[in-house]
Amino acid sequence: MEKKNVQQRYNLPGEIIYCKKCTISNQRPRITFDENGVCSACNYAEFKKSLDWDQREKELVDLCDRYRKNDGSYDVIVPCSGGKDGGFVAHQLKYKYGMNPLTVTWAPLLPTEIGRRNLDDFIGVGGFDHIMGTPNGKVTKLMTNLAFHHLGDPFQPFIYGQTNFPLKMAVQHNVSLIMYGENGEVEYGGDMKNAFKPTRDIEDHDKHYFSGLPPEFWVEHGVSPADLAPFCAPRYEEILRNKTQIHFFGYYKCWDPQENFYYCREHTGFTPNTERSEGTYSKYASLDDRIDGYHYYLGFIKFGIGRTTSDTAHEIRDGKITREEGIALVKKYDGEFPKKYFSDFLSYTKITEEQFWEAVDSWRSDHIWKQENGVWTLKKPIYEEG
Amino acid sequence: MPNIRLIARLDIKGPNLIKGVQLEGLRVMGDPEEFATRYYHQGADELIYMDVVASLYGRNNLTEIVRHSAQNIFIPLTVGGGVRSTDDVNALLRAGADKVAINTAAIKRPGLIQEVARRFGSQCMVLSIEAKKVSEGKWEAYTDNGREPSGLDVVEWAMRGCELGAGEIMLTSVDQEGTRRGFDCDLVRSVATAVPIPVIASGGMGMTEHMVEVVKAGCADAVAMADILHYKRMELPEIRAAGLDVGLHVRHL
Repeated sequence: MEKKNVQQRYNLPGEIIYCKKCTISNQRPRITFDENGVCSACNYAEFKKSLDWDQREKELVDLCDRYRKNDGSYDVIVPCSGGKDGGFVAHQLKYKYGMNPLTVTWAPLLPTEIGRRNLDDFIGVGGFDHIMGTPNGKVTKLMTNLAFHHLGDPFQPFIYGQTNFPLKMAVQHNVSLIMYGENGEVEYGGDMKNAFKPTRDIEDHDKHYFSGLPPEFWVEHGVSPADLAPFCAPRYEEILRNKTQIHFFGYYKCWDPQENFYYCREHTGFTPNTERSEGTYSKYASLDDRIDGYHYYLGFIKFGIGRTTSDTAHEIRDGKITREEGIALVKKYDGEFPKKYFSDFLSYTKITEEQFWEAVDSWRSDHIWKQENGVWTLKKPIYEEG
Repeated sequence: MPNIRLIARLDIKGPNLIKGVQLEGLRVMGDPEEFATRYYHQGADELIYMDVVASLYGRNNLTEIVRHSAQNIFIPLTVGGGVRSTDDVNALLRAGADKVAINTAAIKRPGLIQEVARRFGSQCMVLSIEAKKVSEGKWEAYTDNGREPSGLDVVEWAMRGCELGAGEIMLTSVDQEGTRRGFDCDLVRSVATAVPIPVIASGGMGMTEHMVEVVKAGCADAVAMADILHYKRMELPEIRAAGLDVGLHVRHL
């Protein structure tokens, strides 16, 4: 299989540098570092502490007042998997700010039991109206296979739906406001142009979420336009006519995933998993899909940034753990192969084990990886920093 | 009949006292010694310090805190987390611990229980078990602060630990821990009736009725509490008084 030019494709710096405050490296696409070697996400975390959150809450109340409908129809769309983050947003909007949300979920590729139970509890214990978008399973499998081979990310079909389904629901239900949780680009490092505004530009979808390849790209790989339709955004004119606005709750309320966990334990019946997720130490995040471990694993291969690096980086910023603990966790868990659902993954995507590893190796960039005695290791892991 | 002991449990990570729910989402609470001193003055019968990141670093980092605490706190102190050898036990006992609690290392090498019991006595060998419910009447032992399954059945493991010389069992229910919804009484009873040694029930105390229930129905010999104390939902004198009120054999102060 042809080796990919990862560095060029994602515009990655040739020299790997780690943030002085957290565990993230400059290999995270679009992240920036300041002159003191501190990443944009850490700087934003610092900035968050200086914000006047009372003022931000007033802005939220104003926003709700502008969009609230009193005729029984929905006034806000909240995308939510049944996890702690969307659960927090939906519950606050409905039960604290008096909105009438329609919560929407794009179906996981291969759901887990714990994920499904949490979603049921979110609806039943938390108390929400809910719509699940479930695309044709045969098409989704094919797309997963294609995305794995072409993008090195089997999760891409899910991301299409996750991004576009709420837009579609907004248009169909004449709801102008969509409320997401955090803005990943801002909280976790990326394009900082969004740090000072509550909304997201729909034009950024291709660039930030679809690796430059919108769903329509797959037509040339034999997926019919009709089969692709569920993954696609509504027509742009429809989005405009609906006056659709995407807002982030993290702009209005200080975003703290751990506190969301506490909140949802109390209010929406949320339960963490029985054991930690492979590739990291946590057991309360990203629990609902058997495929997502491979999304994180491929991220580790491409950027040297696995799930533990991402988790520790934001927990350090949130003051939950020290950098030293973060580095120890990275050393212990990052890049751990998600073997629990490997056979499910292979049979779902119709990939052989051999093809899988061949594809994985084609995404290893020379500036990140070295091979010694047939074993791939990171050239510059954070725990070997001088 | 010996007294039912009321034990304050402090889970410690680095310099901080922390508290989770089902051992997840570990919130930083503050300086562990401040809390420990408060509980001592309020009449706790014992204290437990657990280093919850010890297995991550492969060592127990509590020696200094233990040394310092032992100068000001004069009730039995159990210390756990990352204890892997008799040398580790020796170091903690010398620092001022009265007992050590061992989980992961004992699961990996049950012989360690015997070694510790022979060298230091069973009275200081506490077997710590993190129990996760698998089905009705069945629990699996976990390690790494409730993150890794071991495959061991909790009741069988408790019996084996007892045979090897453990003098006490600290039994934490991963499902109930931090939830304030009460102890897993079935779990505690299953273990307490299977072994002749004392069992400390840990995980789930949200009100005094839970304590009474786990002692009466669960046959617990001691009750560990964390959330209820750390968040000051109740204080130890109130809890003790509530126990005395219903005739529980707790120590009169």
